[in-house]
Amino acid sequence: MNCNEVRDFLTGQWDGGLPAELREHLAGCAGCMGYLRNVRLLQAGFRALADESAPEPSLGFAARLVRRLQEWEEKGTRSEFFEAVGRRFVYATLVLTLALLLGLALPSTGPVRGIGGAEFLGLQSNNQATQPDVVGADFTDSRELVSGRLPD
Amino acid sequence: MARSESEVSSEIDSIRRVQRGDGEAFGPLVERYQQRIFSIVFHLVRRRDEVEDLAQEILLKAFRAIRTYNFQSSFATWLSRIAVNHCYDYLRKVRSSRLSYYSEMTEESARELERKLETPESRGLDHGEKLSLREFVGALLARAPEDDRVILTLKELEDYSVEEISELLKLKSSTVKVRLHRARKRMLEDLERWRREGKEP
Repeated sequence: MNCNEVRDFLTGQWDGGLPAELREHLAGCAGCMGYLRNVRLLQAGFRALADESAPEPSLGFAARLVRRLQEWEEKGTRSEFFEAVGRRFVYATLVLTLALLLGLALPSTGPVRGIGGAEFLGLQSNNQATQPDVVGADFTDSRELVSGRLPD
Repeated sequence: MARSESEVSSEIDSIRRVQRGDGEAFGPLVERYQQRIFSIVFHLVRRRDEVEDLAQEILLKAFRAIRTYNFQSSFATWLSRIAVNHCYDYLRKVRSSRLSYYSEMTEESARELERKLETPESRGLDHGEKLSLREFVGALLARAPEDDRVILTLKELEDYSVEEISELLKLKSSTVKVRLHRARKRMLEDLERWRREGKEP
């Protein structure tokens, strides 16, 4: 066995015994003997670490944990509820805001009451006898509106 | 220790109840496995003051994920997997804050320990020597990469077999063997480096 094989064996067969061939090599190789000493030191260290017992759970650990889980679940359910309600509230506010904006913006740009429709409104008032309402009127030619003339 | 049939069926019953949303049924499961979780956490993290908090986080995580448990592996393995993964993440997170070690151990005291270890068991070491060795190897382990630390802890400290580790980490047995071999080798190299230089590399 050469040094690499010996060290490989010592690392892999950590807990196993030492074959005669390996012992023979170790007897004449200070480097591999040092490697074995390190293996033993580590093994002893691991045993010492394993012997150290973990702390015990504090009194009532399981009960406290279950109580926390239940609180967490309730909170989870509550927050789901608030989340759903909150989302609806936001949607409702958005819809309302949009409706308000539309309510304010539309009349000012519409064909009847806005500035843009003033001329049109004037025309309408001149022809109220023949044309009671512009909105919904059955225009056959939009060019007549542009030129300020109403259809006959 | 083998468990009786009634214990196994009571555990299955508790798991199913928790899966249906009965949080109360989680209590007996926590009581049954808390010691195992504490041991894994302690040996992996080695911070006494953190163990209970981490164990609590692990059990909360397990509770949240219990619907995904499909009885393919044992509940102990499933729970231990969550514990190992959680500790692994924790170790990665605190990596930068890990202190440099190289403890009180000197080359001379290491040689003295070795002389005593010439006997097959470390029973020859007195209490103080054991403490000093524990501190030293614990510090070496703390410096190891997380993967090495997990596999060495499970094998050398928690005494899991290669097959158990492969089930727990969802790795092939051959992969576990290779990783274990590599981890031991790195630890030995680190130890050798310390011997040569007598200080942190």
